[in-house]
Amino acid sequence: MSINLEREKAPLPAADLSPVKSSLLTKILYGSMAAAMLAAFYFIFLYAEIEKTMGAVQKIFYMHVPSAWVAFLAFFVTFVFSILFLIKRKRIFDTYAYVSAEIGVVFTIIVLTTGPIWAKSSWNTWWAWEPRLTTTLILFFLFVAYLMVRQMDGVWDKKARLAAVFGIIGFADVPIVFFAIRWWQSKFHPIVFGDGPSQQGGGIAPSMLVALLVTIAAFTFLYAYLLHKGVSFENMKIKVDHYKEKLRERLEN
Amino acid sequence: MLRAALTIAKKDIYSELRTKQVLGTMIIFAGLVILVLSFAFDPANNTTKAVIPGAVWIIIVFSGILGLNRSLVSEQRNDTMHGLLVAPMEASSIYLGKFMANFSMILIVEAVSIPFLFLLFDFKVNGSILYFILVLFVGSFGFIAIGTFLAALASNSKSSEMLLPLLLFPMTSPVLIGVTQATKIILTNMEKLHSAIAWLQLVAAYDVIFFVLCFLLIEYVLEV
Amino acid sequence: MEFMYGAYSVVWVVIFGYMLVIGKRHSKLKKDIEFLKQLDK
Repeated sequence: MSINLEREKAPLPAADLSPVKSSLLTKILYGSMAAAMLAAFYFIFLYAEIEKTMGAVQKIFYMHVPSAWVAFLAFFVTFVFSILFLIKRKRIFDTYAYVSAEIGVVFTIIVLTTGPIWAKSSWNTWWAWEPRLTTTLILFFLFVAYLMVRQMDGVWDKKARLAAVFGIIGFADVPIVFFAIRWWQSKFHPIVFGDGPSQQGGGIAPSMLVALLVTIAAFTFLYAYLLHKGVSFENMKIKVDHYKEKLRERLEN
Repeated sequence: MLRAALTIAKKDIYSELRTKQVLGTMIIFAGLVILVLSFAFDPANNTTKAVIPGAVWIIIVFSGILGLNRSLVSEQRNDTMHGLLVAPMEASSIYLGKFMANFSMILIVEAVSIPFLFLLFDFKVNGSILYFILVLFVGSFGFIAIGTFLAALASNSKSSEMLLPLLLFPMTSPVLIGVTQATKIILTNMEKLHSAIAWLQLVAAYDVIFFVLCFLLIEYVLEV
Repeated sequence: MEFMYGAYSVVWVVIFGYMLVIGKRHSKLKKDIEFLKQLDK
């Protein structure tokens, strides 16, 4: 192997460090995320009216629901990119699937912590085996398992393949889990908790709906930003790993 | 394809009958689970009867996971998996063969351990045995179908014994919910048979969906 | 009311925790790159 060629490629990862950090897309995403977050705070605390029966506690809702939305979106993205990976076998798809799953797990943690806090304040119990809550819990375990599959040892394409397969069947499992749990619950606790307070009274006040939509948009931007950031980070890591591999080869020769 | 699958299943069962290692372990383990259950729930107490339908599935799940682990990891030891993969057959027949072997093994374990459970806890079946066997069959089918698939997936890892339960339990939760409910109804309260049948249909639907999915996806798992 | 504060702080703790994890990975990678640069000279 010619050393010159290696030399030529040597500064590549370092040179790529700066453009990734300040690319235009990152800036746009960051800006819109920050703006949407601020707007969300304005709408949550100043614009939306305070709920009559639950009071200010109801504002947990504006964090809980968008997190759940982002978590499901993230897992759906993982599912789509898993399928794409199995068809096209491009590493970038796998990276997207991985980063999305990780973000999904983070937001599921938010859902699973804010959920019980809200439940404690409005239903006076930390945990109800309510279909959505339970499904989210199982979803959480499924995607933690997905991340475990990724921690396996071995070459990347094997891991990526196995993870993609698991991502697909894991996501396919979710609707069945939901129906099973809903069915199970309706047998023993008919309408104790109804559909959960988020839908009580057949709808929510318009100002609340606006605040909710703004928060959902803000969280979606946050997700997009994190995804973009995470993917560019993973790409860089892959490059560095490649480079290390090359360097080792060169040292061995 | 079916012939190749049958050959693999036969090979697995023959080698199992030669050593009786896994089957013996599974049955002993099932017995130990029954023992632990008797500590946890006083057998003399009448309310214990309510947990027996659930206990049936605890036994099946825990002893099943032992067998599932072995069936794929044993192929890894001398790298016989590689031999199977380069043999002139599809990956799906390997899966099918492994599935049949595991399924027959879990059925044997069930046939031995569940009568023991009923005997030791002095449980009188108030329902239909025939339906109970049907539930066992449908439930074990789903559990083993997805279990064999995930065992193949996990066997690529060095710590597959630890990985498999983590993958398998959340994935099979609909089956477990369905069969425990159906078992409870069938063993104690036959009047609600229609809802037990509804549960069975749910589990059967799951079985079909995931059996097909596993069939389609196994070639990605068992790639050389 | 305390519940609301609790929930909001949990949300931000989780998000910033995740950011922190990412930042840590980032700095580790940076270190690697620096090391490689040194090695290359």
